[in-house]
Amino acid sequence: MSDPIEAFFARLARDAPQRLLRRTVGTIRFELDGPGGVEVWHVSIADGRVAVSRTGEAADTVIRTDREFFGRMARGEAKPLTAWLRNDLTAEGRFRFVVLLERLFPPPPGARHPRSVGAAPGEPG
Amino acid sequence: MKSDLVRVLDGNIFVLSEHNGDIEATVANPCGFFDFDTRFLCRWQLRLNGERLTPLSVAERDHVTLRFFLVPGAPTHYVDATSSVIRERAITGGAFEERLTVLNHDREPVEFTVRLDVASDFAPILSVSEERTPPGRLYRRVEDGGLRLGYRRDRFQRETLITSSEPAQIDEHGLTYTVRLAPKQSWTTTLRVQGLALRPDGQDVREHLDRPPRRSAAERRHDLAAWLDRAPTLSCDWSALTTTYRRSLVDLAALRYSPLTLPEDVMPAAGLPWSATITGRDSILTSFEALPVAPELALATLRMLGIDQGAVLDDFRDEEPGKILHEFRYGEMVAFEERPESPYYGSADATPLYVVLLDEYERWTGDTDLVRQFEDEARAALDWIDEYGDILGDGYVRYRRRNERTGVRNQGWKDTPEAICHADGRLPGPPLATCELQGYAYDAKRRGARLAREFWGDPAYAGRLDREAAALRERFDRDFWLADRGYYALALDGDGRQVDGLASNMGHLLWSGIVPESRAARVVEQLMDPRLFSGWGVRTFAEGQDRYNPLGYHLGAVWPFDNALIAWGLRRYGFAEEAGRIAEAVVDAAAYFDGQLPEAFAGYPRELTHYPVRYPTANSPQALATGAPFLLLRALLGLEPAGEHLLMSPRVPARFGRVELLDVPGRWGRIDVISSGLGQPDR
Repeated sequence: MSDPIEAFFARLARDAPQRLLRRTVGTIRFELDGPGGVEVWHVSIADGRVAVSRTGEAADTVIRTDREFFGRMARGEAKPLTAWLRNDLTAEGRFRFVVLLERLFPPPPGARHPRSVGAAPGEPG
Repeated sequence: MKSDLVRVLDGNIFVLSEHNGDIEATVANPCGFFDFDTRFLCRWQLRLNGERLTPLSVAERDHVTLRFFLVPGAPTHYVDATSSVIRERAITGGAFEERLTVLNHDREPVEFTVRLDVASDFAPILSVSEERTPPGRLYRRVEDGGLRLGYRRDRFQRETLITSSEPAQIDEHGLTYTVRLAPKQSWTTTLRVQGLALRPDGQDVREHLDRPPRRSAAERRHDLAAWLDRAPTLSCDWSALTTTYRRSLVDLAALRYSPLTLPEDVMPAAGLPWSATITGRDSILTSFEALPVAPELALATLRMLGIDQGAVLDDFRDEEPGKILHEFRYGEMVAFEERPESPYYGSADATPLYVVLLDEYERWTGDTDLVRQFEDEARAALDWIDEYGDILGDGYVRYRRRNERTGVRNQGWKDTPEAICHADGRLPGPPLATCELQGYAYDAKRRGARLAREFWGDPAYAGRLDREAAALRERFDRDFWLADRGYYALALDGDGRQVDGLASNMGHLLWSGIVPESRAARVVEQLMDPRLFSGWGVRTFAEGQDRYNPLGYHLGAVWPFDNALIAWGLRRYGFAEEAGRIAEAVVDAAAYFDGQLPEAFAGYPRELTHYPVRYPTANSPQALATGAPFLLLRALLGLEPAGEHLLMSPRVPARFGRVELLDVPGRWGRIDVISSGLGQPDR
């Protein structure tokens, strides 16, 4: 599977992020603009699992962006919430699933554990 | 920031202006019309025949509507005016509406030129007190029946749309009306100003999200009446207490905020107008304070902060899995990641306090479904304490920002850069473990253990948490107690050395219960000593130390919420008389502010000023101070839920006389608490 977006969704379905709460139930439809038209992905979340399909079914929240920007989120380089504020993506429906996107996409690369920073000398206060 | 501006507001939509209703924003005077963390008007200036208007009076009944009665010209020229103007404004249906009426009192017909100058800078709320050149492009457009001001930066776009019910001549800088009025006649127009957060297709981003329509001013007034009606009824011989209680209820109503994420819920925002947003610490502590009068606030706070709980490591946002957020904002600087509040997680206390609130909420309401539903969130918060909060692996919760550019340095409630210091003024090196954080962690573990045992069916986990809490209590007493001074160290520095500043933080330790009984009397003695107790309350930082300053925000000022938590802690340890002294002092101070407690007052000794000097801060009301009277009442009346009952053991100073709190809601239904007002012997 060479397409990074297909790979992202396949990984999501195979291996739901641990960060997803068991109680979370909902559906999100992604509409991705690309050179070949609009690509649709439907994600359904329940019991800590994610099911992915290519159908245009109704969803609690619909996210629309372009393939290139989606790719940046899929690599953890862009954060969905600030992307929504900048209009790099648009959302319809329930805002809580825009917040939830943070749990579906990878964390920013290179982030540190507090303990790895903790003991170094530093600014007072 | 000026604090005497007049305002109307609804959540994060508000208008701040001068007393004549005009807006002319500057860095020193950040007034305007704000919505969604953006300023949509920075100028809104009315002239009648070229003259500015002077207020005769301003009617500010609640936070919903505001009326200005004005005459043209400056007061020094004042002779009987032959015309006057009424401006009546409200936030209604999510927009700013102003009804403008011109009255001709003359015996002759008069032609008036009514001019309204209008402009917007679209400044993000986080930058209104700094000089800033907007990186995007500003534009203005006259349209049929309206004026459109706009700002665009890449795909980010904000617009202000101004329309008028009466025909106006509109140019890019405002609206002009030419009005001919017969003797004794009046003319009225209604102006409507909408703040729009636009998508590329020209529609508001918020219109595409599921949420109930924004309420009208009339609906909000009705809702306020219903809210007051629902709250327990207080009667007391000392009117200072009833006035303060009533005012706090009105202000708490105005502080209720419905986030986009949970549009049907209301949680307390941290302060108005500048902190009308989702916060961690302030929302949690205010909800805790308000449990005896409005437990539904805690429910919304727990739900909201649970959804936004940290899930990953993110240095820019100081985020870690399980961490409870510090603050959430929607403005331009957040959108373009010049600021981290999307959300920002830089506070070390909110996470253990989240567990404290969850447990306390169940004790009051018996809402067992919620504690079962929120097991994952609570466990993640408890895990955070050990995995991410314990930065050095020595068993203490510490903080150190990874975002060194825009992150917060001190991550407890005393978050100014020098708030945590030695008695001689030295600043300790990071990562700091302040004492109250250890108290919160201890309390969170104890309460987590109860939840695990009673609701999650996990006695093994409960046992582990109890053992950890006991070990923390022992370790804490060993490492923090300053034997030669007779008080707990304010903090341990990054090398594990004690920071010996004498501060109010120690009072929170009583609330958390981490202090051994044998030490409590000594701690109480310190808190009530004139070095800390000013006569209006316990100072943040004791007099006589190097950085003490009666006007020091966290280094000398007296904070009502701090005192409420301390009073409740004193009561827990059986020091009812001292708790009563604090409650009496704070209520006494509130009386000087018509019952509206400010965020803080100066730490001058009471004998010196005879008056509580207000600390100049921007937010009024501030949620933590607004909630303080409820927790003080709880301390006076000794209210403690136990099983299906509310235990009550009033110990009220004589000054209060008889105190009755009727219809206190909880798992018991509604119950009355009555204190006879007869003098009771001390302890």
